[in-house]
Amino acid sequence: MKVLIVNSMAPFVWGGAEELAAHLQKNLVIAGHEAEILRIPFQWEPAERIPSQMLMVRAFELWNVDHVIALKFPAYLIRHPKKTLWLLHQYRQAYDLYDAGQTNLPPGQEGLELKYLIRQADQESFAESRNIFTNSEVTRQRLLKYNGFDAAVLLPPVNDPELFPGGDNGDYIFAGGRVNGMKRQHLLLEGLAKADARVKLLIAGPPDSPDDAARLQAAVERLGLADRVRLDLRFLPRQVYAEYVNRSAAVAYLPYDEDSLGYVAMEAATAAKALITTADSGGILGLVKHGETGWVAQPNAKDLAVVMGAVFENSARTKSYGQNARALWESMKIKWPETVETLLR
Amino acid sequence: MKIALCSSLVPFINGGARNIVEWLKSLLEEHGHQVEIVYLPEVDSPELLFQQMMAFRWVDLEMADRIICFRPEAHLIPHRHKILWFIHHIRAFYDLWDSPYRGFPDDLKHRGIRDALRRVDGAGLREAKAIFTNSRVVSDRLKHFNQIDSEILYPPVFQSERFRCAGFNDEIVCICRVEHHKRQHLLVEALQHTQTPVRLRLSGASAGADYPRDLSQRISELGLTDRVSLDNRWISEEEKVAQLAHCLAAAYLPLDEDSYGYPSVEASHASKPILTTSDSGGVLELVQDGMNGYITEPSPEALADAMDRLYLDRTKTEAMGISARDRLAELNISWSHVLQRLLA
Repeated sequence: MKVLIVNSMAPFVWGGAEELAAHLQKNLVIAGHEAEILRIPFQWEPAERIPSQMLMVRAFELWNVDHVIALKFPAYLIRHPKKTLWLLHQYRQAYDLYDAGQTNLPPGQEGLELKYLIRQADQESFAESRNIFTNSEVTRQRLLKYNGFDAAVLLPPVNDPELFPGGDNGDYIFAGGRVNGMKRQHLLLEGLAKADARVKLLIAGPPDSPDDAARLQAAVERLGLADRVRLDLRFLPRQVYAEYVNRSAAVAYLPYDEDSLGYVAMEAATAAKALITTADSGGILGLVKHGETGWVAQPNAKDLAVVMGAVFENSARTKSYGQNARALWESMKIKWPETVETLLR
Repeated sequence: MKIALCSSLVPFINGGARNIVEWLKSLLEEHGHQVEIVYLPEVDSPELLFQQMMAFRWVDLEMADRIICFRPEAHLIPHRHKILWFIHHIRAFYDLWDSPYRGFPDDLKHRGIRDALRRVDGAGLREAKAIFTNSRVVSDRLKHFNQIDSEILYPPVFQSERFRCAGFNDEIVCICRVEHHKRQHLLVEALQHTQTPVRLRLSGASAGADYPRDLSQRISELGLTDRVSLDNRWISEEEKVAQLAHCLAAAYLPLDEDSYGYPSVEASHASKPILTTSDSGGVLELVQDGMNGYITEPSPEALADAMDRLYLDRTKTEAMGISARDRLAELNISWSHVLQRLLA
């Protein structure tokens, strides 16, 4: 079958949605289909130009395509008789962010009309879709609340599970993923300062801004942790990242209220590593079960210090938590072949 | 600089116009630019044309410092610094209007669409800071139909150093899409008139099943199955390099094509002469009869005669191969020239 993945693109920006589309394409091909990605440019500033770009998507003609899988606004407005939505997110500034007063839509009547227009177009597009899946429970709830569509959650699989076979536990806790205030790597540093001196920490990933990197470097200095912390703050080659996971003793990931299970936690579980998170980390708690697959700490330095120490207190226990994490992840059966099959149903 | 390369496509159909965009991207990146490729779908159906043209008009690429547009109707995308590397019009409404390839009637409705399209194209073209074309033929058409001047910028092939010559066997290769307008059937018909045991190898994918099926049937009818091989798929780059390295010559005889065509440039890089016909359009900008190949009348008999000459006079064949290579430098076909002009 000829499957076209349709995604929106912010020109000159490459992110998680682009990665997901690329891996979906790869796995469609593995499943024996022809697959291509259509990336439609979308610029949401100024908001006045959003309607014409919605019309742009609507005016395109697709020929020689058997099935469309569309991911984002406004790309999913594209017309095709066999269109499945794997909704990564709607235009939130016309939905929950609008209600929260955090919108880029202009104030007053003009903004109201834009909001109405976006919602109406979404409504029509959802109604004409063959199936709608969302990438998280939060997105599902939002779609149900605002648009009245009861979608199924289809969690994105790990893109390259073969890179995460696991390995002998090393002498450090690994904290991976993007580096910023919301991901709270600084909290881990404060915890480490209060933890057993045996505990070592590796923080690695791309900082959102130079400030995010500087803040962590300053904290290491201030807390005198230079001999127990390694910072590798950059966009890591995939192999390097996987190596850090596979050789760790445990993986810590404590974003504030995340929508999904989180790639960092999913990849760590694939590698059978014990997990550390915090009680307010949202979707991550789907994989981290306290005393079973890892530790759920309160989001404060004292509590995190106890948990980080526990990793090295009893290495047999840490290992078994890791095995349990892998078993829990495996039991969710979030794999590419099944995902591709579901999307083409 | 942030550069967006804009073109149109039909999903799942590969072709030369896509390659040039991707090659240009890697070269621009090597030179330190940020590059985004924007491929947008387009179906050239008269009824659906204007709605799709409007879509191109609504594309917002303001964040790019400049855009370079290729296939139609990408030239309609608005931008303050728009450069065109114009490859062709929607030809049914231009040079193919008076041909069997128009595909719809010459009536009031279609004439109306034609005239409106030409007006919109003219306006979109005039917005550009610079207009380059891929051939003399296309530059002439821009002048003739749109009254617009342009500069020819011949598209080079990617990593041309891959191509080599490793001798001359008895086979004339034709490596391009297997389609009626590429006229593989003429080559097959010609083979029955040859006096020598020269062979033919046709490689390439097709959009539909009819033409390759008819071709294959004709090969059987003429009893040529042992002298013609038809490989109806998109062969790999490695296979292409190998075929060109060993072949006797390369045939490329599209009907009145816009550009000189990558098949003929690739053959030239492999120091192989090119067999083409007097009605092949842009190919004739590259090929000079008796110098770097043969140009014959588009008839089986005339082609057969040239095929025999390629087979029999090996000294001449090899000399024409060397000249084919030299001809590329003569026409300034190189990426350094392309980058210099597009970024000027």
